Amino acid sequence: MSFVSNSTGAFFERSLNQLATLREDAETFQTQIATGVRIQRGSEDPVAASRLRSLTRLEVRGQTEEENAARLRQDLEETNNQISGVVSLIQRARELAIQAANDTQGESGRAAIADELEQLSDELFTRSNAISITGAPLFSGTAGAPAFTRATDGTVTYAGNSQVGTVPVAPGTDIERGITGDALFEFDVGGTPTSSFEVFSQLAADLRGASSDPQQAAQDALAGLDEALNAANRNQTIVGTRAAWVEAIEDDQAVRSLDIAEKRSEIGDTNIADVIIRLQNTLTALEASQTTFTRVSNLTLFNAI
Amino acid sequence: MPIDLISIGQSGARAARASIEVSAQNIANASNPDYVRRSLQLEEFVGSAVIDFSTSDALSGVRIGGIVRPDNQLLQSRARDSSADVQRADSDIAALRDAEIAIEQSGLFRGLVDFEAALTLLESDPTDPALRTGAVETARQLAVTFQSAQTGLNDARALAQSSVAVGTEQANAAATELARVNRELVNVRPGSASHANLLDARDAALRDISEEFSLEVEFDEIGAATVRLVTTPAPGGEVGPVLVDGPNTNTVTSTIAADGTASFTLDGLTFTPVSGAQAGRVSALNDLRDRADTLDTIALSTITRANTAQANGAALDGTPGQPLFSGSNASDIELALTDGDQLALAPLGSPPGSRDTTNLQTLVAAIGADDGPIAETDRMLLSLSSRIAGLETTREGLSIIAGSAAAELLTETGVDLDEEAATLIRLQQAFEANSRVIQVANDIFDTILGLN
Repeated sequence: MSFVSNSTGAFFERSLNQLATLREDAETFQTQIATGVRIQRGSEDPVAASRLRSLTRLEVRGQTEEENAARLRQDLEETNNQISGVVSLIQRARELAIQAANDTQGESGRAAIADELEQLSDELFTRSNAISITGAPLFSGTAGAPAFTRATDGTVTYAGNSQVGTVPVAPGTDIERGITGDALFEFDVGGTPTSSFEVFSQLAADLRGASSDPQQAAQDALAGLDEALNAANRNQTIVGTRAAWVEAIEDDQAVRSLDIAEKRSEIGDTNIADVIIRLQNTLTALEASQTTFTRVSNLTLFNAI
Repeated sequence: MPIDLISIGQSGARAARASIEVSAQNIANASNPDYVRRSLQLEEFVGSAVIDFSTSDALSGVRIGGIVRPDNQLLQSRARDSSADVQRADSDIAALRDAEIAIEQSGLFRGLVDFEAALTLLESDPTDPALRTGAVETARQLAVTFQSAQTGLNDARALAQSSVAVGTEQANAAATELARVNRELVNVRPGSASHANLLDARDAALRDISEEFSLEVEFDEIGAATVRLVTTPAPGGEVGPVLVDGPNTNTVTSTIAADGTASFTLDGLTFTPVSGAQAGRVSALNDLRDRADTLDTIALSTITRANTAQANGAALDGTPGQPLFSGSNASDIELALTDGDQLALAPLGSPPGSRDTTNLQTLVAAIGADDGPIAETDRMLLSLSSRIAGLETTREGLSIIAGSAAAELLTETGVDLDEEAATLIRLQQAFEANSRVIQVANDIFDTILGLN
């Protein structure tokens, strides 16, 4: 634009616009520094704003998955504790069975063993209905009812189901919540389905005289107890492996959340050094413009008249 | 002869003084945006007579002609049109930006993401009453967020709608003023100061109208303007209906339709303007209606997906799930459940207290799906902010054009104080020189009288 004649009004208008633009720039930089956020409104950078939104979603998802993983780990640890308890119960029962199989035991000795076995059976039943920290049954699968119920005749039956349910802990990774009571307490001995409870109570009953040969009965019960121990050990391994998996996932989650935070910062945060230098640049230009404006606007012929 | 000399000097001094007055008027109006620089037209004054077939001239000095006011219609109309384009982009952006702030600040996207997160959290322990209550409260918050987003959007639309009414009134007022100027122009003599003054008022009125509606103008020999608005649709062979014709005006009326969009009527024709602030508002209102519809669609999709999942599931007590939300759009969406236990996370037919999360997983997948409400909200925000960013780029280009057109016009019509100062000095010298002429005539006369 070249002007033959320069209208005074146009000069003031133009100077005002230039100064206003510089001021506006300086204010934008100032806001960016003060808030630490580069994009105040989506329209300033629509694509980056959309990416920030999807990163926000990933971030929230990540936090949820971290919480899920933490809860799952607690549940698995609790399950592990309970199974450890079950294992020691069965081991104790096995010791008692071996003692009972020993012919040095008299009738009263066997009765004492039967008493202890009944105690152990009670504890086993309690453990089979163990609950998590939040009060949900650990061994009932997805069924909400208590895992095992005991009839008046002492028969224990599984009330849960065989679905464990899964918990999402990472994109595409759902880990099974635990193990079901039927896998832990029910097994076959010589082709006949039975359960730890049945083995315990059968042995106690045999020792109390239900069997004509209690020593042989105790000897026979060992096979069932071994199977019960096997089942418990097997499931403890499964739970342990799963807990290790969750821990590995938690490490991944920490790395991923750092990664997301870094990307977020890259896209949406103010690059302080960059903006401060730009602000300085703008301020210098603004000051210079203000000075030259006053100088130039003083340059009027009327001063010479 | 000395008598002639005196009157020549006198006419010159008078012309110089009159020119100084015009300069003073220019200086006084230097910051008046409607004022157009004037100058005084001067003509040589020669008396001539024919005596005995020979002409005889009598030099009689200078005669003051009319006041000249530069009237470059091409520059005027360029400046008007380009400024109307900037106004269009400005008002469009202003309304859309209000909508953007309303939707972004309502936190709708975040609300949906939080809802998804609360549901995902439930998968870890579907019977935990704290998590269930948390999920229901997040859903309540989401319903409120939908409503506040729609309210914000409606506020932005209401603001644009009232601007449409105000803009129409301003254009009508300017049209009335223009008709008055047209009527007065008949009564004043061209070249007079009042004529120039009326032309200033005419151009100001035209500028005021063109800020709201783009227009086409024709001038007659005395400078009276006939104004047609540039519209779609236009009557056959013309750019649009007549707003001002001589002393007569037609009134523009604006109508806000039930769907919130604006239209105008002038001289029996219903139209939308091509440019000017009103065109921007019309386009923004159309856009905002679509955004409001999209918001309703997203709300309905959220309601439908949540309620369908509930209908296919069993609540904590084993009963079939009840609807999660009531309502059918963003304005009337409400939480329908009263208790976290009513969330139907297990499939239909599950026993009470079931920890089965199959139905919950379906719901989480439905909310987070690629065509689900979260993705739709992101798409809506992206398209709105992209449109604003695009308009801002357009506006920058238009501003440069408008700026250069305005500068060119000001070069032609604005007051340059330096030029006026130089003129003042020149005229002062001319005045002094003319007084000197009178003095010389006086001296000559005295010399002649002194002869003996």
